[in-house]
Amino acid sequence: MKNYIKISLALAIIVLSTSNCSWEYPIDKDGLLITERAECYVSNFELLDTDHRTVRSRSAIIDTIEQTIDVEVLWGTNLKSLWPQFSLVTDAKLDPKITDYVNFSDLENPKQWTVVSGNRQVRKDYTVIISVQQIP
Amino acid sequence: MRTIYLVLFWLIAGGVLLLSSCAEDFEYTLPEASTALQNDCIKRTPPQPYVVGNSIQFAYAMALAPEKGRLLNASVEASIAGADGTYLEHRTFYTNSAGNDVGIVIGEPSVTVDYKTEVVFTVDTCAATLRYNYVIPEEARGKQVSFKFIANASSGETVTYQMGPYQIAKMELKREMVLSNSNVCYFSIADMAAYNAGAASEIPGNIDLVYLFRRIPGISFEHAFVSPAAPQDFLPGVTLPSGVNNDTRIIKTWGLRDQHLALGRWGEFIDDVDFEEIDFTNATKYAINLRGENGLWLETEDKKYRAYLYVNMISPAGLIAVSIKRYTMY
Repeated sequence: MKNYIKISLALAIIVLSTSNCSWEYPIDKDGLLITERAECYVSNFELLDTDHRTVRSRSAIIDTIEQTIDVEVLWGTNLKSLWPQFSLVTDAKLDPKITDYVNFSDLENPKQWTVVSGNRQVRKDYTVIISVQQIP
Repeated sequence: MRTIYLVLFWLIAGGVLLLSSCAEDFEYTLPEASTALQNDCIKRTPPQPYVVGNSIQFAYAMALAPEKGRLLNASVEASIAGADGTYLEHRTFYTNSAGNDVGIVIGEPSVTVDYKTEVVFTVDTCAATLRYNYVIPEEARGKQVSFKFIANASSGETVTYQMGPYQIAKMELKREMVLSNSNVCYFSIADMAAYNAGAASEIPGNIDLVYLFRRIPGISFEHAFVSPAAPQDFLPGVTLPSGVNNDTRIIKTWGLRDQHLALGRWGEFIDDVDFEEIDFTNATKYAINLRGENGLWLETEDKKYRAYLYVNMISPAGLIAVSIKRYTMY
């Protein structure tokens, strides 16, 4: 009888120790931790040319209320191949993911990305509005 | 309690047996070196795309026991005859305590006839390591080349060593061309050469790029390569020679410092496959605000050539030095 109790206890400890993490931090389909954070915003934005240098003529203006990012790019920038880089609040993620250069040449139809909060409950669509520096 | 002790005992005993079963007694004896003529070869040139005009270097070692005789000659047969500058060293090298290579003459300088390069030994030696420098000829472009190293000894023995095959790249290479603002500023990918306006007007169909240096207040322009077909905004103050209007596609890049183009620096290489796979769908017609070590992927209007132009040096005086790798698509 004592042996049964010991074996049951050992099994219970093993099961508890292996499942402990997944109770506290579930993982989403991208393998990222789902946390309790509900914050959902873009904190910084960068736009790179094919030579990995910035094309911004000045800092991007991020409006977290209107959910817009206004970027003026250098005169002569090739808008067809730019790599956007978003800095997000802790634990948030971007949808869709950026896996290649993006074509921004259609200035009338700005590109949109969705920021998803750490708890995956809040989603905010950010619009990236590009303008091109003019020759003074 | 007794059961626990028994289990522990058998576990320990089993572990000891397992460990001891692997240990066998081997008595080491020095291996006896072969006295026969033998050889070995290594390729000294690191792995990289082999480009026509560049070299592939090998070190060929041969030896036999002194009592068996001496080396008579060594030769290399290339499957495609090497270009001028191909040779087999007539010195055998060793490395001294300071780490320097020291050469000892063992014969007359090599003689190359067609595909075969040979050195005849003039000293009595039973061992040598000779370097072979193969200059890749135009005939080898896009083909494979292999080498057969041969050594003969007075004992009547002959040994051979096969190296390769090595794939020779299709692409072409030209280094350090200097262009100047408003003077030698017209560049031809087809010719891999730069021209002034007068020369460019005689071959307008061959002109693919215009180099210009402009300081324009409020924008970043400075050093630029521009397609003749680009909007005039990108060619400020430029009057193109009659007929110069090619629509060259350009992708600006950075950090792609090909060792062949960067004159031996860095450890990256562009190979034929890179030209085949580069996508020009979103390419543009200009590259402005260039710096040293910038690179430009290029495609000619007729899509016959793709190229990579590397900026070796720029000067605020309106000069730029570039090197190019070019790949013929058809």
